[in-house]
Order: sequence, then C-alpha cells, then structure tokens
Amino acid sequence: MIIDLLTTAIIINVLSAAIRIATPLLLAAMGELITEHSGIMNLGLEGTMLTSAFIGFLVTEQTGSMGLGILMASIAGILVSLILGFFSITLKVDQTITGLAINLLASGLTLFWFRSAYLQLSTNDTPLIEVLPDVNFPLLKEIPYIGEVLFSHNFLTYLAFLIIPVIWFFLYRTKMGLQIRCLGEDPQVADMAGINVGGLRYLAVVIGGVLVGLSGAFISVGSVERFFPEMTAGRGWLAFVIVIAGNWKPARILFVTLFFAFLDAFQLQVQGVGVKIPYQILLGLPYFFAIVVMIVGRARSRAPEALGEAYHRE
Amino acid sequence: MINKGKFRIEKRDQVGVGFQILALFIALLASAIVTAILINSAGADIREGFIALYEGAFGNWKKFSESLVKATPLIFTGLATVIAFQGRVWNIGQEGQLYAGAMMAYWVYFTFGDLPPGILYPLIFLGGIIGGALWGLIPAVIKARYDVDVIITTVMLNYIILYILSWFLSGPWRDPASYYQQTTPISESMKLPVFVEGTRLHIGILVALVSTAIIYILLKKSPLGYEIRAFGSNLVATKFQGFNTTAILIICMVISGALAGLAGTSELFGIHQRLKADISLGYGYTGIIIAMLAGLEPIAVILAAIFFGGLINGAFFLQITTGVPAALVQAIQAIVLLFLLSSRAIVGYRIRRVADDN
Repeated sequence: MIIDLLTTAIIINVLSAAIRIATPLLLAAMGELITEHSGIMNLGLEGTMLTSAFIGFLVTEQTGSMGLGILMASIAGILVSLILGFFSITLKVDQTITGLAINLLASGLTLFWFRSAYLQLSTNDTPLIEVLPDVNFPLLKEIPYIGEVLFSHNFLTYLAFLIIPVIWFFLYRTKMGLQIRCLGEDPQVADMAGINVGGLRYLAVVIGGVLVGLSGAFISVGSVERFFPEMTAGRGWLAFVIVIAGNWKPARILFVTLFFAFLDAFQLQVQGVGVKIPYQILLGLPYFFAIVVMIVGRARSRAPEALGEAYHRE
Repeated sequence: MINKGKFRIEKRDQVGVGFQILALFIALLASAIVTAILINSAGADIREGFIALYEGAFGNWKKFSESLVKATPLIFTGLATVIAFQGRVWNIGQEGQLYAGAMMAYWVYFTFGDLPPGILYPLIFLGGIIGGALWGLIPAVIKARYDVDVIITTVMLNYIILYILSWFLSGPWRDPASYYQQTTPISESMKLPVFVEGTRLHIGILVALVSTAIIYILLKKSPLGYEIRAFGSNLVATKFQGFNTTAILIICMVISGALAGLAGTSELFGIHQRLKADISLGYGYTGIIIAMLAGLEPIAVILAAIFFGGLINGAFFLQITTGVPAALVQAIQAIVLLFLLSSRAIVGYRIRRVADDN
C-alpha cells in the first residue's frame, strides 16, 4: 500500500518535472526551427539564451516587475539574434564562426555585467527575485494526479506547448511560412519570385530571437530565484540538437524534447531518492544522449537545402 | 552631360595582405572603443583603466614573464584550432581535450610515480598527448561513421569530460586531506623546471614553441599539410582529386586534440601542481579566438597568445586597481572576434562606380 502510494507520487513528480524541464527546450527549439527554415543557422542559441536569462533576472531584480523582466529578456533575445542576423545575412560571414562568437560574447558580457552589478557580493549573497507564479486554474488543479501534472505550471510552460500548433500552422499553412521555407530550400528561386530574401530572413531571425529570449526568461525568472554564470548549462545546444533530431518538423521536435525532458526528470528523481549511482553519471546523461540521439536521428533527417549558406545574388 | 553612374558592391577576387592588416587594425581599434565603454560603465576612469590593463600585462619584466606564462596554454590551444580550422574541421572541443590530456598525464604520474623523473617526464607529456588525442578522435569517428557534426559532439564532450573529472576527483584521485575536489599536490621533483630565475616561466613554453615550429612545417612544408589546406579550401574538388577525406578529418582532430592535451599537461605540471576542475580559465575557447586573430597562421599564434595572455593578467590588475571585474577579458575576447569577422568581411568587398546600363 505504502509502496503503491510512493510510486504514484514518484510518477507524478517525474511527469510534472518533465513538463517543466521541457519548457525552455521547446521554446528555443521552436525559435530555432523558424530561423533554420529560412536558411539561417543560429548556432548562438546557447549565448542568446544566457543573455536573456541574465537580462530577465537583472530587470526583475532592479524593477521588481517580473512582467518587465520577461519583456526585456525577449527583447534581449531579439537584439542578440539581430547581431547574428547582421553577420550572416548582411555581411555574409560564415555562420558557424558567427554563432561561436555570439556564444563567447554572451558568456563574457553576462559574467562581466553580473560581476559589475553585484561586485561586492559573493555568488551566494546575490539578491534573490521572486519566481514567476503558477497559473491558477481553479477547479482543474484539484483533479487528482492530472491536476498536479498538468495544471501546476507558469504561463511560459503553457505558451511553450501552445506555440507548437501555431508555428506548425504558420510554417505550413500561411503564405509567409511557405515563403520562409522556400528561402531555406532555394533562396535564388525565392528571389526570382519577388520575395525579399534578406528582409524575410531577418524576420525569421527576429521571431526565433523572441522565442529563445522567452526560454532564457524561463530559465531565470521562470524557475529559480537567482542568476549564476553559465546557468543555461548547454540547454541552448540541446535545443539545437533537438531541431536536427526532430527533422525540422514541429511534432517530431516535441517528441524529441519530451524524451530529453523525461530523461532529465528521471535522473533528478534518482538523485533525489539517493540511489547509489554517482551523481556525475546522472548529470552527464543528457549530454551523452545528445550525441546518441544525433547518431540515431541524423540518418533519418534532412536539413533545409540552403541551411547555413549566405545568399549572393548572381 | 555627366555620366550618371550608380554604385555597386562587389566581392574582391583576392584580399591582399595590406587589407588583412587593415582589417585587423580596424578590429582592434573598434574593440578598444568598446572596451573603453565597458570600463566606463563599470564606474572606472577610462585612461586609468587602460593604463592598468597595460601595466598589468607588460608593465615590467616580472609582469611580462607572467604574461608569457599565461600565453603558454594559449599557444597550444591556438595551434589546436589552427590545424583543425585549416582543414575546415570545426573542433570547438579544445577545452575538453585540454582536460582529457591533463587527466591522462595525471594518470601516468599517479600510476608510474616511482620511475625516475628523466623517464617520467616524457611519459607524462606522452600521456597528455594521448589523452587529448583520444578525446579528439571520438568526434572524428562519429563524424566519419554517422555524419554527426563535429561541432555538436565536441560541445557535448566538453561537458561530459568535466563530469568524468569530477567523478575521479571525488573518488579514486581525491586528496583526503582536502575539502575541495582536487588531487594531492604533485611531488616537487615532478614539477616542470623553471628556466628563468625569479619567474614562473617553465619549460612548457619551450614545448609550445617547438610545437609551433612542428605545426608550421607540417602545414606549410609537408604533403599532408598541403592536403589539409586543400581539403579546407574546397571540399568538393579534393574529393574529386581522390583525397581520403576521412583520413584528413581524423588526422586533424587527433593532432588538434593532442595539442590541447599538451596545454592541460603543461598547466597541471607547470603551474597548478594539482589536478582540479579549474586548471583552465576557458583557454580552449580563447584558443579559438587567438587562431582567428592569427589568421590561422601558426607563427602568428604566438603573438596573439602573448597579447591575450597579457590581457588576462592586465584584467586582473585592472580589477585590483579600479574594481572593474576581471571578467572584462572574456567580453573583450569575443568583441575582438566579432569586430575582426566584420572588418574582414567589409574589406573583402569594394564599392565601385559603374555606368548605368539602361
């Protein structure tokens, strides 16, 4: 009887945690999906996420307004993505190097600003912020089991899941979505059809930036009361992997995201109950599986034809 | 009638050395301006800040020698990037390969510690080379076999190695007398010898200089180097000429990893004398920027490494004297890279007035 109760409690815990963990991955992967469909590879995902997490924390801490913090985090996401866009679309610099530079810039600047803002304090004494509260669903959250799993999250989580059909609709059922996908397959044909290649690619980069910005906001304001350097811990890279393994398709991206989210929720649970596995193995699992997923998924996925290539008009 | 013309932007066929240097100069100038803004935003006087940066880096012989000490691992990681990027292999796993090298070198020391130093020294360096090379080989094999981008595997392996290190440091290699995750100190007799009295300049930098010469000869004077550069400049054509692309990929990654492994070995036995998780201050990533700044030229890596080594020390001095966080240096590094990329892109084009064709 007690065992039964424990297992149910554990399952509910894991499910609820998985949905929470999936949030930033989904937001970032969906943003990257749109950007990559336009032919621009944003390898600076990790750095963009980190910058937004920092700005979200800083603004919330300074102004006391979570809403403003989240807004500024998404604007930071747009700005960082625009730097990447300027380099890859206008200057036509190699997109791999540009993305790397963006990540290094974000690591450096967030650390510098964080230390500048809270120089006199040690990392443990930095000010705390309030965490974004859960959405209050009056009756629904009372439902046994389901209430705890599905109705105990903040609005960014619901946004992350609701945005999937919206993005699917945008990419596959609207004219602009079709044009964006066309840019990623054959920008020359798009150009001849009268589509503004550069302009539309910038738009795709900006939409991606907003979503990555929101994922960064979730990582700081949406889940913990503090910021610490490198707090994104590879989740931007993981989102990048998810897009590839998800074959650039919204539904499969959701599936791959949930896989990683369950894995992470599961290892947290295992750590929590004190099973005798070294915690280093558990913490390293997502990175290990990122490689495994790439090995398994690479053969079954096809990138947009012109992904990562600058467009030169003939 | 005045010929009505319009301007057209076109790509230069060949970007000369003069323009390359111009691009570098513009990038450094622009970075200095942004640095000034950052120093100012942190509440310090700009002039004082720059003086502190310079003083801390190259102010006197002692400080200069310390900058050379900092440059040592950067030469290794810079070279590691040069060899990979010359072959268009996007290895960004230098940080992880540095740790893998340090760990293997430590394992050799830990296991064969009783051997006389004359035998143990070369074995330790060999260990560092093998450790780094193996950690570089994994992504190369995965790329060759499963077509997974090196960039992704190397990023993931950078995270994974730190967890493996943490496991060793909390178990088999742990110093029982210490609260921190670190090994016991390396015996005095196995410390890398200092060769300039009154400094910390150890023989690691000599190994780095010899490595530079070897990489220079390998890239510029050997058939293999020609293949690597040909592979890097045009993948399709080389495939057509029958080069073994898989072999080149694997060779690039193994040499790159070995160099990064030497960085870890030299830092562990020359400076820290304990294996712990912070023997590198992001030297792997700084190496990428150094290689780009050096235009992927091995000899120029030395100069760029001394420049950034000085910058690291300068930033520490800046923090002491003005309170501006030393993290400034990480920001400056990335800013230099971004400005360099943009100025190179811009000098790669020219604006020409062309006659209106209608």
